[in-house]
Amino acid sequence: MTTTTINGRPLALPDDPDALLIDVIRDGGLTGTKLVCGSGVCGACTVLLDGTPVVSCLLPAQAAAGKSLTTIEGVGAAGLHPVQKAFMAHDALQCGFCTPGFVVEAAAFHDSWRATRGAATPSREEIAAALSGHLCRCGAYEGIYRAVAEACSGRFDGIDPTAPRLEARDKVTGLARYTVDIHHDGQLEGVILRAHVAHARITGLDLAPARAIAGVAAVVPLLDDDNMVRFVGAPIAAVAAKDRRTALQAIAAISFKPEPLPAVIGLDAARRDDAPVVFEKKDRKRAGNVSEGAGGAPVSWKGNVRGPSAPFSQKAKRARSWLDEARQQRNPLLVEETFRVSTQQHASLEPHAAVARFDGDQLTVDISTQAIHESMEKIAKRYGLPHDKVRVIADHVGGGFGSKGSVGLETIAAIELARAAKAPVRVAFDREEELSVTGYRPAAELKLSLLPSAEGRLKALSLTAHADTGAAVNSLIAGLARLIYPAEAKELVDFDVLSNLPPGAPFRGPGGPPMSFALEQAVDEAALRMKVDPIQLRKLWDPDPNRQRLYDWAAGLDVWKNRKPAASQTGRYRRGVGVATGYWLYLWQTGSSVELAIKGGRIVASCAVQDIGTGTRSVIANTVAKAFDLEPQDVEVRIGRSNLPPGPGSGGSRVTASVVPPTLLAIDKLKAEIKRTASRTPAPGSNAPWREMIAASPDIAVSARRQEDGRPPPGVRPALHEAGIMGRVFGWVLRLMTHMVVGAGVPSSVQVMEVEVDTWLGHVRVLNAYTGLAVGKLAAPTLARSQAAGAVIQGIGYALYETRETDPSSGHILSGSMEDYRIPGIADMPKLDVHFDEAGFEHVPGGSVGIGEVATVPTSPAIANAIRDAIGVRLTEIPFRPDRLVAALKGRDAA
Amino acid sequence: MSVAVMSAKPTAKPTPEFRAGGTDFSERRRSGVSQGMLIDISATGDKTITWDADGAARIGALTTIATIATDARIAAAYPGLAASAQGLATPQVRQVATLGGNLAQRSRCWYFRRADIDCLKKSGSTCPARSGNHLYGVAFDLGPCVAPHPSTMAAALLAYDASITTDRRSGLTIAGLLGDGSISHADHTLAAGEMIKSIALPAPLEGERASYKRAISRTYAEWPLVELCARVVIAGGKFELVRLAAGGVAPVPLRLTAVEAQLSGKIANAASIAEAAKAASSGAKPLPMTAYKLDLLQGLVRDVLERLSD
Repeated sequence: MTTTTINGRPLALPDDPDALLIDVIRDGGLTGTKLVCGSGVCGACTVLLDGTPVVSCLLPAQAAAGKSLTTIEGVGAAGLHPVQKAFMAHDALQCGFCTPGFVVEAAAFHDSWRATRGAATPSREEIAAALSGHLCRCGAYEGIYRAVAEACSGRFDGIDPTAPRLEARDKVTGLARYTVDIHHDGQLEGVILRAHVAHARITGLDLAPARAIAGVAAVVPLLDDDNMVRFVGAPIAAVAAKDRRTALQAIAAISFKPEPLPAVIGLDAARRDDAPVVFEKKDRKRAGNVSEGAGGAPVSWKGNVRGPSAPFSQKAKRARSWLDEARQQRNPLLVEETFRVSTQQHASLEPHAAVARFDGDQLTVDISTQAIHESMEKIAKRYGLPHDKVRVIADHVGGGFGSKGSVGLETIAAIELARAAKAPVRVAFDREEELSVTGYRPAAELKLSLLPSAEGRLKALSLTAHADTGAAVNSLIAGLARLIYPAEAKELVDFDVLSNLPPGAPFRGPGGPPMSFALEQAVDEAALRMKVDPIQLRKLWDPDPNRQRLYDWAAGLDVWKNRKPAASQTGRYRRGVGVATGYWLYLWQTGSSVELAIKGGRIVASCAVQDIGTGTRSVIANTVAKAFDLEPQDVEVRIGRSNLPPGPGSGGSRVTASVVPPTLLAIDKLKAEIKRTASRTPAPGSNAPWREMIAASPDIAVSARRQEDGRPPPGVRPALHEAGIMGRVFGWVLRLMTHMVVGAGVPSSVQVMEVEVDTWLGHVRVLNAYTGLAVGKLAAPTLARSQAAGAVIQGIGYALYETRETDPSSGHILSGSMEDYRIPGIADMPKLDVHFDEAGFEHVPGGSVGIGEVATVPTSPAIANAIRDAIGVRLTEIPFRPDRLVAALKGRDAA
Repeated sequence: MSVAVMSAKPTAKPTPEFRAGGTDFSERRRSGVSQGMLIDISATGDKTITWDADGAARIGALTTIATIATDARIAAAYPGLAASAQGLATPQVRQVATLGGNLAQRSRCWYFRRADIDCLKKSGSTCPARSGNHLYGVAFDLGPCVAPHPSTMAAALLAYDASITTDRRSGLTIAGLLGDGSISHADHTLAAGEMIKSIALPAPLEGERASYKRAISRTYAEWPLVELCARVVIAGGKFELVRLAAGGVAPVPLRLTAVEAQLSGKIANAASIAEAAKAASSGAKPLPMTAYKLDLLQGLVRDVLERLSD
């Protein structure tokens, strides 16, 4: 037996030559090291081998024999490393799942930099090169640049940092425990057997051979009652065994007969008349849901095409006839174009994962989820359990972006396996599952016609969207164009095109980025044809008060004022500047409750909400601290447990606006209660009367539920009111079905992007990004900035790199690894200027609304418009990869 | 995904595989694409770089990519080799990956990398990428398999006329090691159990310069769409020698001999380079989805040679 030294302690290495270092480290209880890609590209598993950063997911365990290993737990063991302090101070993290890998690498870079360069500050380029083996899906790169630069310059030597993010210390030290890190005594590992054909009826499923394998504790079927699989990766059964290897052997032993059926893959094939049908009429209810809200009104459905769905059209016939007329008259102002957006995967770095455990009739499930309270309710309903017998836990969640909003297969499989095995079971998806069957933002084809009037107003708009939803329905893209740029007439039609691909899911502003990609390019094109400034045209066409202020900000930017006239450039590298607008709904959740208590002289805030990297803990702590003249760290925030007072799901950008108002109510109640129960008042002239009174207070508790908003000023309306009566109906249904309220005022973003196009190599680089945001007052300013930065970088990924690749006949997802599904790296992050306009939401208690979704909506069209400005050619299909750039420059169709 | 079940069928008697750094091997092991016996050579392989009196280097096959990327003498003598090493994979992978392993690594083809899809490299009878999605496939269609060769170092070594010694053969050229592009069942000509031992490079020429660049969509850490290693000797403002080796475009690294010939003796300036770069597609046979690679190749020839002519 060989040994290694890990964080100074000896550790025996397994003899198995196939054992990988990451498993040895994590099985030994050091769970700060994360497994994400398993292919050496994301760096989350980085550890130091004799001081050198290596990826432990690819390194044979035996390679560490006789060497010294340092994991994240060892980096700060003797007091925080300057890099850890800098990461905390600069909020160089969000969900925190990639953070240990970044910190280990950055610490090694820092140490060698300081040894050779003293306290010089490394450049952005030097930092980017050093960290090029790491990926962050939240997009914390801006803070990481600052943190590494300042740590190297010595600014954090000997300093005890203040972190704007409450749980930052746990995340930079690797102590933060995520669902995948949970380990109970006797815990089993669950693995799911999945289909490898796109369409088949499964018969003769025989689980017995799997049950017969030593070490297998439970095998459960997962097929729906129609025994059908409708996409590659559809679940068939699940196994719980003593370890993953045994579970994999067991699923291989399960036998069944797939009766293959004709399959159809993708948007174009599925629309053909002779295409095989994915869901027969009787099976339509089995389709998944790609929308955040409840399903809409009944919609017609023919073959694989569900639609037209056009509740938000406005004088559609008139729009059609005006557009026809303009077409016949060859009106030069008529903008007509077909745009295509690509499938975007959430690619959360923590995979979908659940650990289920029964203690008698008490079910406890750790889930990597965006909705602990709702998950508890749904699990209780599904298994017929009272609410108090189900507890859902999520202390830290490694990203979600919309994909972890409902009770998923990982949770169902874990619960059913745990019940059958009578032991705790963990189910954690591998990277290929994560990048194929956990949902995605559907690709879409967007046909758009836009007609300005002779007077230069917006006269008519037509947008028809066909979304590539796989085995799911309810895409809403075109309809969202009703809520911006009022026109005389609009025809807005949505279709779902189903095929034998995994179902899509909500993704950060569902429908928003695709709609904006088409509409904002069309508005840009109209401005070019009308020979008016694109920002001024938006000012004219878009009366929203929040965006009016943002347009003024954008118009005043030097980069906008100094942009070169289009087509003045002929060299290899060409620069361009583009603008685009986005909006999202202001949503809050009814019933959201917060409890404030004093326990042992300390304030404790509690809410059954979760923090997926957005900063919910800090939002609550900041709100409470401010009211009592405390530091946020003085407030203990308890979240991540479903048995706390009910909180909102982390979706629809609703958390801040749902939890701040009841927190404010509870603050008032608590202040009154403190005064009422106080045995003596603070000494006269005390600097910290509340601190003293809290310290002296007996244990007390108050709670409050989310109140209605105040009356908004004239002209400030809910976004849905733009859509007339249908908008109001939609709002009522949303409130009734999902407890979400669309409040008055429209969260908005105007973005200006400067790009450089390398016309030889087809490479697009975003040099500078300017994002203006109107989301009210900032409950946690540094974290809001982090969210804004992350939204921009995710939008850059959408615009330039990200696409799911499929095999057109078998339906296999080919981009199932992080090498092939390409999210932006640190070097792809532009310099960023964030402008917050904090007005517009004074009627909301606290004045704050959510930021996560709106901040990513306009990024892709702003980049598209910048590329048009640079090269004089409008690209209509994202991602703008090198193959598409060089084809466009040559005037030929890309593959 | 659940690997074991996804396997279409167990490979008939998988041959044992050598594992050096393990960076390619471990990934295929985890996915189930590699299932045979493994022989770890990391502890026993040659990690040394030795130099002849005339300045020629011999690099042990287990030398890491990071060593080649940072060794000062390599950078001085073979700057194209050093630059290629600096440009591939990620810093952490370069620390572990070896030169021999880089040459012997398996294809990056999406279909090959999935355990549940058969292909020519896995005892299948057709290439599913040819009829399916081959966005990253070859633009010089030289054989039944349409995947480009993944080895960045092989292209660099081709530019440097390197010679490879295995435990059974010596004096192998890159073409001898990797074949002519018509082999479909493997990524090289190594026999079962044959191991690369060392790589020898001729002494650098007087006054030669070299460079490397890859065309990718992001800034770093991406398999090249197209890559190019170039060596030149410029004397009196004219190209005396031009060596261009391109990767990412063919089942094996390719010398761009038409461009080389056209530039020989020409004035080293942007105009002559731009004109000659058009010959980069000479002999190309793009697939329906890969014509763009020829544009990128032409752009890379201009980019790299212009920088070398400065």
